[in-house]
Amino acid sequence: MNASVNKNMQDRHILNRRAFIKSAVTGWVLMQSMSSGVLAKSIAPSTNKKKIVWVMLRGAMDSLSCVIPAADPFLTEHRASLVTAMSDTALPLDKGFTLHPALKNCYEWYKNKEFSPVVAVASGYRARSHFDAQDQMESGLDNTDYESGWLARAVAVSSGEGLAISQTVPIALRGTKSSQTWYPSHFAPVDDDLLSRLRALYQQDKEFTQLLETAVTNRDNLAMSEKGKAKPDFSYLAQHCGELLSRDDSANCAMLELGGWDTHNNQSARLNGQLGILDSGLGELKDSLGKVWKDTVVIVTTEFGRTVAVNGTKGTDHGTGSAMFLLGGAVKGQQVLGDWPGLAPKNLYQNRDLMPTSDVRSWMASILHQHWGLSLTQLNQVFPDVQPIAQVLVKSA
Amino acid sequence: LYFDYLLLTMSSINAFIAANRFGYGANAKTIAHIGASPQQWLLGQVNAATVASEILALEPRWSSKQALESLAAYKLQKKADESASSMNVMQQVSGVSRKGITESVEGAVAQTIHQAIVSENAFLWRLVDFFSNHFSVSVGNLNVRALAPTMEIEAIAAHLAGSFSEMLEAVETHPTMLHYLNNVYSIGPNSKNAKKSKDGKGLNENLAREILELHTLGVNGGYLQVDVTELAKAITGWGIGSVRTQGLSGFKFRKNAHEPGHRLVLNKTYSQHDDSQGKAILLDLANHPSTANFVSSKLVRHFIADEPPQQIVDEMVKVWMSSKGHLPSVLKVMIQHPLSWKQQAEKFKTPREFVISTCRSCGIESIRPDFIRSLTLLGQAPFSAGSPAGYKDTQDYWAGPRAVMARIEWAEHVSKFVKQAPLVIAKNALGLILRPNTALQIGRAESRQQGLTLLLMSPEFQKR
Repeated sequence: MNASVNKNMQDRHILNRRAFIKSAVTGWVLMQSMSSGVLAKSIAPSTNKKKIVWVMLRGAMDSLSCVIPAADPFLTEHRASLVTAMSDTALPLDKGFTLHPALKNCYEWYKNKEFSPVVAVASGYRARSHFDAQDQMESGLDNTDYESGWLARAVAVSSGEGLAISQTVPIALRGTKSSQTWYPSHFAPVDDDLLSRLRALYQQDKEFTQLLETAVTNRDNLAMSEKGKAKPDFSYLAQHCGELLSRDDSANCAMLELGGWDTHNNQSARLNGQLGILDSGLGELKDSLGKVWKDTVVIVTTEFGRTVAVNGTKGTDHGTGSAMFLLGGAVKGQQVLGDWPGLAPKNLYQNRDLMPTSDVRSWMASILHQHWGLSLTQLNQVFPDVQPIAQVLVKSA
Repeated sequence: LYFDYLLLTMSSINAFIAANRFGYGANAKTIAHIGASPQQWLLGQVNAATVASEILALEPRWSSKQALESLAAYKLQKKADESASSMNVMQQVSGVSRKGITESVEGAVAQTIHQAIVSENAFLWRLVDFFSNHFSVSVGNLNVRALAPTMEIEAIAAHLAGSFSEMLEAVETHPTMLHYLNNVYSIGPNSKNAKKSKDGKGLNENLAREILELHTLGVNGGYLQVDVTELAKAITGWGIGSVRTQGLSGFKFRKNAHEPGHRLVLNKTYSQHDDSQGKAILLDLANHPSTANFVSSKLVRHFIADEPPQQIVDEMVKVWMSSKGHLPSVLKVMIQHPLSWKQQAEKFKTPREFVISTCRSCGIESIRPDFIRSLTLLGQAPFSAGSPAGYKDTQDYWAGPRAVMARIEWAEHVSKFVKQAPLVIAKNALGLILRPNTALQIGRAESRQQGLTLLLMSPEFQKR
């Protein structure tokens, strides 16, 4: 790289920094108009080679369809229409659980001792608003602090460096220490979930329905003629996330997001697609992490679970207990973690939801302790409201 | 808290109509500010004191004086650089660079947009936007780029509380317009300069034609080619003073370029011998019935409906003629006309209105990509209509398939910056205009970002 290019890039950094200071969002925002190589250069070498990737599933993933309690006698009673179709193809796990068949990579990792689901988890949040639940999970505090995220605090106490695969700094990476963001410079394409919601929004408005449908047709026609052009879908983002993390002097943690889990209707087909997207994205992440995979823990969580019973539109509604995944080369896999409360009606939370038996943050805290070596005092700064799980989750070095 | 405001305005949906149709959208503060008399809120903005305070809020401001001085310094430096580079010596004459000028201009554009977001006199800024598009200039070269944002403040905003004739004269004598429509190069065929000149420089009709066709009478306003030529001759010599040799930085009448003699425009003879000749013609044009009709129609088309109701236009024309184009009086007719307050929103927001009202409603004062880039992505880059006719002011122009998709993408992107609950924003922005189905869909959204995207893309937010 010649000197003038270097100078130019430094200028861009200064500009970006200025732009950030003016903007209402905290954090050091870098846009993809630079090559991703620049990003790594701007980060101080991390003392910590152990990587953590947090994948936040927005919209409330239905855990009972992902880590299926096949041996629970009450499962078919609550949701026969959702489980019978899958009963032959679901992939067998420990303790009578099965894994959704779309999670092919995850299952390979499970067999390879690199994947462990945790069942019946929840954050400290007990109401049913997506927005508030996501904010609280990102903040990691019982009383959501919009300017302080759990990953940012973990980074601060461990002198690490955070990276958000996002256009703005999410709450999880907001804090005293600046985090970075990476995202392709063009806007994210509008996904099918948003389109179907816009259709619902316009259902009584012929004019806007017409505007939307014409716009979608036009876009799709355009996409046909631009085949092969990289689109920032989850796989694309996960792949770049892995590439950025795999550099020697890059960040030691990153946050990825994937929306589209709010399956109030037609759940089976939608989840099949969603889980496929998640699974292949995680596959891209592993491939691009390369050698770093063995030092990586990926934590996959969602803001809350969904109702145990099926609703009237072949879907499920907002619930409480859900599941999380721990995966990666550093994970002590092939365990189904967490206590199973059972699906007997008397065991349900408020007679409708899976009862949470542990806090998502307790597992995160445990990972920070075992993987990054955070002390209990440091953990208390990251997650003051919970205790870490006393169980071996990470392979001994 | 917003419930209080809702109660306050329960009897009158008009506060929300005022904020959205005539302003740049609403938040709780806007609605509280409008209070119980939306028409008074609008009428109270079009006066000299409010105009002055709004312009003052832009300090420090990029002025045409600064622009012209920077341009002169830049050209001087470029010359020096060119001779210096031949000697292989670096020589800095002044700190002015092309990039520096561009940054100042972008800063000025952003500042105006920012003021439109935060001001409680948003109607004034809508009017600035309207007349800025009426007197549209496009940034083709560095001169116009450096000057463009200064004209809408110095010539347009500064005259909103006066008569159209004052604004017209200020615009046509502003360095931006004189550069943009080439009048600086126009020389009377019988002027002293023409007699000296051997390089065939002569009359340039560009500005005169657009004054008649776009700025005053309108294309069917009853003028002929001979009127264009006569007006063009009348305004020969309207130029810009030289910063370097004359220490000037604004309008300068160059007598030696002025076409001598009487002028006959629309069957009226003008016998003045200097710039007052052209200015007298402009005054008559400003008070011509065709101008009254053309500009009033455009105002109603901009604020009320793509097909402007003729009743409103006719009454505005009447007042225009009796008040000699006194803008506050003309606008008062539109504001007080019952047809301006129909509940049905007829106008599809322009990208600029969409961006600014989004920021206002969501309580954000800056965005990424920044205002200029956002507007460019949405199809309305500032000072880039590419034609002196300006951007079109109808839905078919703004609601094309790519434009709609760009709006969805932009809305989804910008929603990430916002912390407030979408439903709270929705109620504050739209009040009783908010449709039950929109509230329902926002409530069902899977994330705050998605909820806000739905609000921003809802028909009642997209139309005003």
